[in-house]
Amino acid sequence: MDGDSTTDTTQLGITGEYMTGGTYVLQTQDDDGDESFNDHEDGNGSKDHFREQDIYLPIANVARIMKNAIPQTGKIAKDAKECVQECVSEFISFITSEASERCHQEKPGQLPAGLITADGQQQNVMVYTTSYQQIPGIQQIQFS
Amino acid sequence: MSGKNMEEKVEQATDRKNISLPMSRVRLIMKSSPDVSCINQDALFLTTKATELFVQHLALSSYKNGSGKETNTLSYSDLANAAEESETFQFLTDILPKKILAREYLKSLEEMEKVDDNL
Repeated sequence: MDGDSTTDTTQLGITGEYMTGGTYVLQTQDDDGDESFNDHEDGNGSKDHFREQDIYLPIANVARIMKNAIPQTGKIAKDAKECVQECVSEFISFITSEASERCHQEKPGQLPAGLITADGQQQNVMVYTTSYQQIPGIQQIQFS
Repeated sequence: MSGKNMEEKVEQATDRKNISLPMSRVRLIMKSSPDVSCINQDALFLTTKATELFVQHLALSSYKNGSGKETNTLSYSDLANAAEESETFQFLTDILPKKILAREYLKSLEEMEKVDDNL
């Protein structure tokens, strides 16, 4: 596409004409999606092979869930799928850090390593219901 | 909604076979958070399930918000709008910036420079 620009937008699935206001959306992805993600995992299980911000859930799974959520006649743009993929990782990190924080608050000193135990799980559930009360499914999980 | 219906929904929601996201990958993302070492198996399942519901909620909300224009397609801007307008999705505003055309951005850059020159 536009080979001279400093932003490689082809990997983002968007045309070169679009940039965000204020900051450039630059992403040097090491892989095309994350189909290859698991293939690179070798025996030593080292975390150095990938960067934290590149850990995504498989886009096929994410896209399927999206597709089933919207009316059948609807379509989903490719960059929307990729974007939700990133949002998902953000969501998981958000939930995890909130739960971890509460875990520490509830029992200071007892779980210095941030262990999410069964008690922590209750905290985890509380986080869900305060942040996502509109999702009835999650409320039901809380009561189960 | 009858009590029994709710029961069925809860059962369906907590049925371990009823998830379509890889828990191992979810676990990896969770472990990338600082101060997290071990993750209880139930907490992992809960997170995975909640993530699924999150995707559904985000997709449907964004789609509903945008489909008034009869595009019938869920686009990036629908998601960016949802992040901005809904309190639930506020935490996504940093990773869902609204996009503008490059030439508009360059134009506004030029205008900012002009303002600086005039000062």
